[in-house]
Amino acid sequence: MRVCTRFAVLTLGALLTVPTGAVAQAVSDQSKKDASEQDQKQSASEEAKKQDRRRNGFRWRNRPTFQFGDVRLDIRFKTQLDWRVFDPDIDEGLFDLRQMRGGLNAEIGNHFEMQAEHDLWGGGEICGEARDKCVGGGSWRDLFVRWRTYRQAEVTVGRFKVPFGREELISFSDVDFAYRSLVSTTIPPARDKGVMVNGRFLRRGLTYEVGVFDDDGDNGRLTEPQFAVGGDPEDVGPSFAARVTATPLRPLSERLETFRVGFAYGLADIPEGLNSLRGQSVYGTNDFFEPVYVNGQRQRMGLEATYTPGPFGLAAEWMQAREERTGQGLGDVDLSDFITTGWYASATWLVTGEDKEDFNNPRNPIFEGGIGAVEVAARYEKLQFESEDKTGPAFRNPRAQHVLPNSDRVWTFGVNWFLDRWVRLTINGIREEFEDLRRLPVAGITDYWSGVARLQIVF
Amino acid sequence: MVARSVRAVAVAFIVGLASLGTSTLAQVQFPTSLPADVLFNATTLQRIDLRLNSLDWEKLKQNFQTNDFYPADLVFNGETTYNVGIRSRGLGSRSATKPGIRVDINRYTDDQKFLGMSALVLDNLTQDPSTIHETIAMKLFAKIGVPAPREVHVRLYVNNQYAGLYVAVEEINKQFLARVYGSIGEDIQNDGGLFEFNYTDIWKFSYLGSDLDPYKTRFSRKTEENKPDQDSFGPIETIVRLANDLPAAQYLSVLGERLDFPAFMKYVAAQNYVAENDGFLGYAGMNNFYLYRLENTLKHQFIAWDEDNAFAFPDFSVTNRHDENVLMTKAMQVQELRDAYYNGLKAAMNAATEPTGSDQLAWLESEIRRQTDLVNDAIRDDPNKPYTFDEFQNARVAMLIFSQQRPGFVSQGLSAAGYSTSRVRP
Repeated sequence: MRVCTRFAVLTLGALLTVPTGAVAQAVSDQSKKDASEQDQKQSASEEAKKQDRRRNGFRWRNRPTFQFGDVRLDIRFKTQLDWRVFDPDIDEGLFDLRQMRGGLNAEIGNHFEMQAEHDLWGGGEICGEARDKCVGGGSWRDLFVRWRTYRQAEVTVGRFKVPFGREELISFSDVDFAYRSLVSTTIPPARDKGVMVNGRFLRRGLTYEVGVFDDDGDNGRLTEPQFAVGGDPEDVGPSFAARVTATPLRPLSERLETFRVGFAYGLADIPEGLNSLRGQSVYGTNDFFEPVYVNGQRQRMGLEATYTPGPFGLAAEWMQAREERTGQGLGDVDLSDFITTGWYASATWLVTGEDKEDFNNPRNPIFEGGIGAVEVAARYEKLQFESEDKTGPAFRNPRAQHVLPNSDRVWTFGVNWFLDRWVRLTINGIREEFEDLRRLPVAGITDYWSGVARLQIVF
Repeated sequence: MVARSVRAVAVAFIVGLASLGTSTLAQVQFPTSLPADVLFNATTLQRIDLRLNSLDWEKLKQNFQTNDFYPADLVFNGETTYNVGIRSRGLGSRSATKPGIRVDINRYTDDQKFLGMSALVLDNLTQDPSTIHETIAMKLFAKIGVPAPREVHVRLYVNNQYAGLYVAVEEINKQFLARVYGSIGEDIQNDGGLFEFNYTDIWKFSYLGSDLDPYKTRFSRKTEENKPDQDSFGPIETIVRLANDLPAAQYLSVLGERLDFPAFMKYVAAQNYVAENDGFLGYAGMNNFYLYRLENTLKHQFIAWDEDNAFAFPDFSVTNRHDENVLMTKAMQVQELRDAYYNGLKAAMNAATEPTGSDQLAWLESEIRRQTDLVNDAIRDDPNKPYTFDEFQNARVAMLIFSQQRPGFVSQGLSAAGYSTSRVRP
């Protein structure tokens, strides 16, 4: 029954994309015109691609690339190697091969794009133990096909990131800090199998993404043993997510062109059980909030704002997840919603003067006689777990009406040194402070400093 | 014989004084009433309600071999203690249909208490068709001054469904220690080292070596969590080593500094009187006790625990397995300790046979009748008991026979060992 429901939803989602495509077809002439008019740079880029298509064979275009007529195949590789220090010692490994992924990107003219990315190394200490985000060694990260004939209505099918959370949607190699913010690794669903329609208008002044998915993403998947009286336990999902971003101040001033705000919303079915979101420390190795019993729907809401004037970058996000707890109380009574709230605010400065917007290449790469690009960064964030009902005494009990809150507040200070387009060194100092003395990742330590030095190679 | 009796009385007096001396000199004060008195009022069949999520109750029963906690509200006498933690408990008594339950009152919050207690055990009585072995044994122990938890029968309801007859047992913890060992001035005497004995194998007090690990395996630390192992488990290793190495003649003078021998002999004697077959001198080695190192001393006492297997049979030898346990074997070679043992046995017998009530029945028989009458309907209606109502009634008869035959058998044992059987106050 559950499988049928899921199939029906996915089918419906797929069907929805067909009329969307049909509508897009109906306005295709106008759309094509708009697209070409809206973005001269893009047209130049298209022209460059056409030039490339005439040159078959292998070449290095920032990465190994094969071109066969309209078909282009890029080979991708990403790796991060960390050296970490903790004060005091919290019994964590000092070295961590955090990520190593390989992938292929394929483009067929302007109409189709395919992407496949796979873990080449999943046995790192963090990934292998408690970090739920590492879905296990050797798993597929992305595996999707995108039809992109119309920029206003592209259709993606496969496994890819659910459209929720600005920082979560950025590639891990492009995040300003060694680790994503806690809220970005906790509330957004991350990757899942599904169907999505996305598009952009007004020279990216307005973008949208909307999709339906099989489960609730890697972050929302069930991690605790499931239990049901008679019959099999239910699974999580299906889920829905949508995200809209806009540059509302662009008409006022060119200097405010990069000020972008966004809103995201998500909805997922969650089965009865210890299935709420959980709180993990920055390194993902310890819980500071274990799941509580939930049953019903998980709603997500997110707000985001970014501004990148010149070499500066400002970013902030606020997200909240509300999870229903129908019949989860003692005596099977309904409980108030369980609420996970998090936010961050960060600031960066490319000291060497490059523009932060779409930065991916130092002006003076180190192997061309320059010093590369240097960026300093700071971030403050908080992730908190609590119940909506705050009357009466609070308990740590996973079925409490008034759940005793716990939170993690984190300061991160960092320096990024981009040696060239492909190699980056990152040093971060991180201070974590937990609220509840009885739910600390490490007993007896309410706050501690840690440091990460990271070598990253990406092409 | 007269000289021997006089000497026995003198030794008993001295030993008694010695055991009381510290307390008397230090003016130990005991609480006159406690909030939990209302629960441990054994004249009433109490009712306890647990309210938990129905899924959790099913989960607890299905996973009864694990120690996973589940939240519950506990209702007693119209008062609700919210969000306590409960889990399945026991060794051989674990059951999927009628789980033994440990209630951790402040599992999910700080400093919550239920009638002044931080924990409570709900014994499922699956191994005792009479349902009264433990309640009677502990009551007798308390009567003669052996540290023992308070117990009371309760009807347990889970989500308004009758789950069966249980026994609520006071947990051996700091609140128990405060009740039993009192306070000196403002200083409650419960900051010593408390250990629960974990049964792992047949062990009869033989030396396990200087490495502390075998002791850590057998003695589970309940207090002094932050003390170094050497300070916590080292004294236990020392006692076991001395018990094995010392000649009996030095037991009192050397080992007596570390073990409260008078209390120990009385404890073993009390267990013998009730024919406890799985206690300190159990059929498969030592089992079912706590060990407490008195506050600011090196002296240890044994605390009774889990007397489900008491009242085995009336002719349970008064020297049963004395020759198997190193500590007991040597202790019985010391005249003063031998005297203490038989005096303890006599005290237990006297307490058990003390005329009680208007019909002047022996206390033990009277208590058996009273308690079985009290629980009769509750055990008849118990939907989850692993025995029949007839088996309960037969066990009741067996208990009554025990109460009537045991004094005679013990008297014979006392006489054979050269001790008077005349009544003395316990």
